[in-house]
Amino acid sequence: MSEAEKLADYRARARAWLEANMEPLGPTAKSRFSFAEDDDFTPERLAEQQALQRKVYDAGYAGISWPAEYGGQGLPKAYERAFEQEAAHFVMPNLGIAGGTTMGVCGRTILAHGSPELLRTHIPRVLSGEELIVQLFSDPEAGSDLAGVRTQAVRDGDRWVLNGSKIWTSGAYYANYGMCLVRTNWDVPKHRGLTWFLVPLDAPGVTVQRIKQINGNAEFCTEFFDDVELTDADIIGELDNGWTVAQTMLMFERGGGGEAAAMSSPDPRDIAPDLRELAAAVGRLDDPQARRLITTAHVDDVVRHHLSRRLVGLMRSDSRQAGALASYGKLASGVYDPIRANLALEIADGGASTWQHGDSPGAHAATDLLNCRFMAIAGGTVEMQRNSIGERVLGLPREPSFDSERPFREVVRAAMNWSGKVG
Amino acid sequence: MSVRLFPKLDENQRLMLDAVVRLTEAGCPLTGVRDRADGSAPSDPGLRRTLADVGCYGLLSTEELGGGSVSGNGVVDAALIAAERGARLQPGPFVATSVVVHALTVAGANAHQADVLTSLIAGDAAASWTVVDAGSLSVRRHEQEWVLSGTVAAVQDADECEWLLMTLAQDGNQILIPLAADGAKLVPLERLDVTHRFFDVHLDDVTVPVANLLTPAGSSQDLVDRQFSIAAVLAAAEAVGAMDSDLRLAVEYAKTRIAFGRPIGSFQAVKHRLADTSLIVEMAKGIVAAAADAVGRGAADGDALASVAKAFVSERSIEAAHNCFQVFGGIGFTWEHDQHLFLRRLASDAYLFGSPNWHRDRLWKHADTESRRAHV
Repeated sequence: MSEAEKLADYRARARAWLEANMEPLGPTAKSRFSFAEDDDFTPERLAEQQALQRKVYDAGYAGISWPAEYGGQGLPKAYERAFEQEAAHFVMPNLGIAGGTTMGVCGRTILAHGSPELLRTHIPRVLSGEELIVQLFSDPEAGSDLAGVRTQAVRDGDRWVLNGSKIWTSGAYYANYGMCLVRTNWDVPKHRGLTWFLVPLDAPGVTVQRIKQINGNAEFCTEFFDDVELTDADIIGELDNGWTVAQTMLMFERGGGGEAAAMSSPDPRDIAPDLRELAAAVGRLDDPQARRLITTAHVDDVVRHHLSRRLVGLMRSDSRQAGALASYGKLASGVYDPIRANLALEIADGGASTWQHGDSPGAHAATDLLNCRFMAIAGGTVEMQRNSIGERVLGLPREPSFDSERPFREVVRAAMNWSGKVG
Repeated sequence: MSVRLFPKLDENQRLMLDAVVRLTEAGCPLTGVRDRADGSAPSDPGLRRTLADVGCYGLLSTEELGGGSVSGNGVVDAALIAAERGARLQPGPFVATSVVVHALTVAGANAHQADVLTSLIAGDAAASWTVVDAGSLSVRRHEQEWVLSGTVAAVQDADECEWLLMTLAQDGNQILIPLAADGAKLVPLERLDVTHRFFDVHLDDVTVPVANLLTPAGSSQDLVDRQFSIAAVLAAAEAVGAMDSDLRLAVEYAKTRIAFGRPIGSFQAVKHRLADTSLIVEMAKGIVAAAADAVGRGAADGDALASVAKAFVSERSIEAAHNCFQVFGGIGFTWEHDQHLFLRRLASDAYLFGSPNWHRDRLWKHADTESRRAHV
């Protein structure tokens, strides 16, 4: 059999299995997790989805391209894509945001850096749905300055003692483990004293709290660590070399520029349907001033889409610049989401301040206002993106650095006694 | 340095663009533009002919008529050239001439195709384009001639044009007027954009043959719509080029100007302003490239994309020029520095071939037409 025939044969068997075992996707069933919705994972719902994942795993369709010695199938990526294409027509297991992080980011990062022992223990359980692993990334006191985390592990004989806290962890309240970025050495510059630990979220001393957000949802969590005991076996990658692991993780998180491709294409002839609906709801659809506001938003929407397409083209012709170029997409979202939300407020003319039922256009405009700074802040603020564009694309000189060469302990002390004098 | 309107070009486009850049930089560098802004000489017809030899003026025509695209999409090819011209603030009516070339190609009388069109494509002549309201002009038919009286306001670079294509806004009828005709007089205007010149064209019983009325195969308004889309794309492409150059100069300045013991580009206040400007420029390139592609293919959403492009670029390019001005600081106020040439060009171009609001209204008009069609 040729490669193509083998792949076609695999696809046919996958389809047959899906038809025999999974429920076809009806018009109302949701195939994908949506970040915007409030996706509360009750223990019942979690158990149900885990059982479904187990079924897929037992049939050999979980981790199709992952190494066979750790519970995967060891097949080429093309087989995984073929299965995903077929599976798109069925109701597949959905483990929510924590499931997405486990399979898309943490699992893959652990595969790249974890010890064989760690992989043997955890990867099969990840693939079978028994284990959910989330990212314990930002500290409450270190967000955009990720390498400045102060959550720390201190060696005590043959164990490590973890103290500190993490925040903005998606779905930690129903996960089993967290990949935790921790300071293990204060006497070297900040990027060189970091280590990743795999922390059991049910360990003594770990507290997980859900954060109620301004839009009423609660998918993010915050965690507190009080003398949590860990061992060398819990380390992912090498001691004090966590920044290298973080780079791998960020690469998986960005998904290699997939965001632009996934963004739906607005029809330039169909002027901002949601904003027209909003204007109609407040009786302003024929008001020339409202029309101008709607068209302004529409023009920005269409241009943003074509920026994404341009960036994909530029990344393709120079992949080394991909990271810096991605900053344009992030900056555009951070700048234009708030502008759009404000335009909606102006169109609503008070209609986004009070409303009668939750599904009204005014309510959506109000929610959009609350959510609009998400991309301006999450995953590196717009200020970070502007630095990246300024320095890495335009070639502007860097800011003076106060923290990249000195021991981190000294950096923190100096910052607390800030005088504005260098050296 | 190329504007890089598209991330990737085919080999023929690259060769054409290299030649255009080389000829332009040798024939009319920014210092030449500046001399012309100080004096009053029209641009060099020799350079126009050389560029015509490369094929610049025939891209929106056909091979049968002596022109033709290099890539199969003439609007894309013309937009590439427009962007490089804009980057070097080139004088001359490239946008209008391209529009007239296209109009004559699809709706000109045979005689005009043999004569006027050929000379435009060869660079022996240039043409401007204007849209007038009924109130400002009287058009009467007298036997086999049109008799025109009134004033056509603010025609760009009319002094280097042999022809003016005049479009009547209310019915989309278009008449080709020889500017050397008896009774036609140019009165120069004071202007913001000193890299172009503008004239009121006074017509005092000017007579032109009836055959100078364009006769499109489809509706007159459809052709005018298409001309507006082509003009919007090419004008926006010129603006993209100008923005790109202005930003490049501001970035260079921020790297070398020292203040408080550091290059000013290391200050976030300056760096972030330049990053925001760079975002505007990248967005502008993305939308102009998409609009050029769609208009050139005759895609159903081409007119809408062209208006989106012109509305966005017109507004944001002025913002970009302001940002660069702020980075240059005091030197930007001097006549000697080039910054004001870019600001003048971009602010003036924003209102040529449809202002941002005009293009927004056009989007609504198209959307209404589309939805009526959908309901029929």
